[in-house]
Amino acid sequence: MASSDEFLRPPSNEEFDAITRVPSHYNSLDTFRLGSGQDRHYQQQYGDMYFLRLAKLKPAVEEIAVEAWEGFSIAGENARRVERVLDVRQGELCWVAGTIYMDMPLKPNILDDLTKENYTLAPPPRPTYQDPAHPELTQIMLEDESGRLRLTGSMLRNTQLCTGAIIAVLGTENANGDFEVIDTKVPDLPQQPRRWGNDTLDAPKGASKGKIAFVSGLGITGTSSDTLALELLADYLLGYTGGTSGALPDASAITRLIIAGNSVGASMTTDVNADSSTKKRTGPKKYGYDASAYNASPITRLDSFLAEILPSMPVTLMPGESDPANFSLPQQGIHRAMFPQARAYCAPPPAGDSKQEPSWFDSVTNPWEGDVEGWRLWGSSGQNVDDILRYLNFADEEGNAADGAGDIEARMRVMEAMLRWRCGVPTAPDTLWSYPFQTHDPFVIQTCPHIFFAGNQPQFKTAVIEGDAPLKLNGADTEMTGTDDDNSSGPRVRLLSIPKFKETGELVLVDTETLEVEVVKFSTFAGQQEQQ
Amino acid sequence: MAVADYKRYLAENVLNERRTVTYRSLGRALRVHSTLAKQMLFDFHRNENNKKPNSVNATYILTGIQKAPETPSTTNGLQDSFGGIPQSSPYISSSMPNQDVARDEIAMSSVVLVREEDLEDAKATFQSISSIYIYSLQPTVLQDLNVLTDVAGEMIAKHAQEDPLEYGKTWGMIQGNNVRRRTGGRPPVPAPAQAPALPKATIPAKRPVKEEETPQPKKEPEDKAPKMETTAKREEPPASKPTEKTAPPKQKGSIFSSFAKAKPKQKKEESATPATSAAESAEPSAAEDVVLDDASDGDEEPEELFRDSGKSASAGTRESRKEREERLRKMMEDDDEDEDEEMPDAAPSPEESKPIDEPPPPKQAELKEEVTVKGGRRRGRRQVMKKKTVKDDEGYLVTVEEPSWESFSEDEPAPPPKKKPAVSAPKGKPAAKPGQGSIMSFFSKK
Repeated sequence: MASSDEFLRPPSNEEFDAITRVPSHYNSLDTFRLGSGQDRHYQQQYGDMYFLRLAKLKPAVEEIAVEAWEGFSIAGENARRVERVLDVRQGELCWVAGTIYMDMPLKPNILDDLTKENYTLAPPPRPTYQDPAHPELTQIMLEDESGRLRLTGSMLRNTQLCTGAIIAVLGTENANGDFEVIDTKVPDLPQQPRRWGNDTLDAPKGASKGKIAFVSGLGITGTSSDTLALELLADYLLGYTGGTSGALPDASAITRLIIAGNSVGASMTTDVNADSSTKKRTGPKKYGYDASAYNASPITRLDSFLAEILPSMPVTLMPGESDPANFSLPQQGIHRAMFPQARAYCAPPPAGDSKQEPSWFDSVTNPWEGDVEGWRLWGSSGQNVDDILRYLNFADEEGNAADGAGDIEARMRVMEAMLRWRCGVPTAPDTLWSYPFQTHDPFVIQTCPHIFFAGNQPQFKTAVIEGDAPLKLNGADTEMTGTDDDNSSGPRVRLLSIPKFKETGELVLVDTETLEVEVVKFSTFAGQQEQQ
Repeated sequence: MAVADYKRYLAENVLNERRTVTYRSLGRALRVHSTLAKQMLFDFHRNENNKKPNSVNATYILTGIQKAPETPSTTNGLQDSFGGIPQSSPYISSSMPNQDVARDEIAMSSVVLVREEDLEDAKATFQSISSIYIYSLQPTVLQDLNVLTDVAGEMIAKHAQEDPLEYGKTWGMIQGNNVRRRTGGRPPVPAPAQAPALPKATIPAKRPVKEEETPQPKKEPEDKAPKMETTAKREEPPASKPTEKTAPPKQKGSIFSSFAKAKPKQKKEESATPATSAAESAEPSAAEDVVLDDASDGDEEPEELFRDSGKSASAGTRESRKEREERLRKMMEDDDEDEDEEMPDAAPSPEESKPIDEPPPPKQAELKEEVTVKGGRRRGRRQVMKKKTVKDDEGYLVTVEEPSWESFSEDEPAPPPKKKPAVSAPKGKPAAKPGQGSIMSFFSKK
């Protein structure tokens, strides 16, 4: 324990070497960036998104279904492929692909709101859309451009589904006109590029030891109580914490910090709403910026936190539910005007057509896709996971309610399911607010990421999932063809559930060579003073 | 400088003024490495408590690996249950091998802040401790550890003018090699709670310029100067204000009185050295004020140019013409860049509210109108002041306001009644806010 004496001794005259941070290779993709102001239109119908998604994913899922079900027969009857859900004939064994739609008793319904003449206020968040008292009210349907087919069968009870997922189902239509499901297939993991993808030129020579740091849910409210752990985090990231050796992961190896949403605590927005309702009656009506109703300290504090660490390390900031960005997905990056100090590290606005170099301080979208150290990352601030969980009922499987350990299990499975559905935000635009895309559905995951993360989860958790190895079995030859999908071992994805920093004080580090995960926890020791 | 002085500094701050000193605030105050600062704290703590027990209280940071808590919600417990996923999950089935990896132990290290009294208890929770150091010293036991954040905030405010890019090495900060920072942006608005701080942007960020903006590395000095000019004045220490305050009224009446504020400052700039100085960054707010004054596009550049040409006449020896042109070009580019950062509701600069007695800039939009009414429709011509930008023989762009006629026709006979009040409004309230004080005044109750 020699290093523990490093600090507990009188000042020495030793010279301190400057420690240099491992450089970051970074490329943010504009998958979710919307056009600027006048290019955004909100008049379109959302239905297009489902058709775009189906058009994109139907070939993929059908390919898998053909593989599995071609020649499948029950009692001498071969399973027939049906193109459209309305072409399903009663009593005939067949399979069809389509979009899942779930009708649930507690799901917010725009038609209900309109008939009751409640105009579209945001529905209050509900823990679940299921009604435990009436499970039979939950209907699962398969739809495509032709129509809908109600799905039944015991198979569904064990299958986690949610609106927006594209799957193929095998079964028969029964006398009620419902489709008895025997088996389901999902598109499964898309093609995964190799590390460094196409631009192998970027790859540094030799292995560099680096780490990518993830944190989410900083939850800064501007009061002093929540910032002490943040102080410790900043100290650590800047390299002030810890000695030259020891158990603590070397902070200088951290190449980049990714902040996955909810950096600003909830109180900034909710308090204002509560206050304004009472204030409106009293004072004279004011328009625009009201300094008394707006509490700037959370964002100011976040700004100074960023400005403190930015001189040493690059930061990618994703907005989250409680952050000052647009609410509907994809959330666009928090405007740099919110960060008077940190914005000096932004790249200048693009001048003309020239390719913009990535910002040192990059305020990106949520969800976000990008390349860090050659790995493809796909992540969100957690809304997608939270929302899907409202569709699912894990309670009966785990035997306990959806909290604690069972909950985090469910979250990991939801994340895996999203990857296998190839859809990062399936429940948008149904129950998650979304921009009405017309030409493409960016939520479809086109290339399999290496790291798939969701922020603002109750606990830290990680897992690795694997897809099937490529079906071409001619072994070593596949290397020669040079296309991207010839990974020898099939896609492997590191799933990360990033906990809320405010509650857990945890920073997640991912090794850039092995994708191994470490956690550093920051806390204060509640001694006798506080316990009394 | 400070290695010997730390005892005095700590004695003054901790013992006399009864303040809390963290290793970072000590390191910043004395400009020493964080490790050294920690050692100083330790040394001071030991010496003082040897002299007089409990005279100084410390908080420690423990780093290392903590024992896993006994609660079932540890990562270990989770991983076990992950192995027990019901086979009913259709997605897992194809990828069973993953579970070996998932079961791997996740390395979990901790950084814990502890009071001196609890140090032993806290140590007991650790499996192995990799380092212990003193985080802060204070005269008494801290009831609430959150006080330490105030110390940090204070420290940041106090040393805000020290560019972390320059001093980071001294503090022991991990150096980022490729830090890119824009030098052109306006300086940060200080947090309301913080003391008036010099803008960070006034410190030349040598490293980023050198490394990232390599296209014109040689022109760095010239490059920097115009960029600084676009920085707003609002961050300046209040000391420099009075001199400017007296200046603006002198220039009133001239058609260029909208530049009035710029001129006196430009003299100031001449007195300063050409290199970047604090005085120079004091100059630019005029540009911004003018932009706020009349919101028409493209104003900013010509006005800056005009001011510059004036300067060149009086201070011709300062730079070669070529360099100036280069600067002007850059400045215009910068202006373009900055435009989308213009925040209408940014904090009003102290200066904007100053020129109360200054008349509104002579930008009477409509001088004359000739109106003919034909068939219920108004047609006519009116004289408007148009901005015209011409290149003069020296190659500068000069903007002149010229009266010119434009024709209009409108269905409804609204404009004259509407426009007239608009023009005369400033007269009705002469003292109101010709310089457009703050945008808040627009919303205030009239």
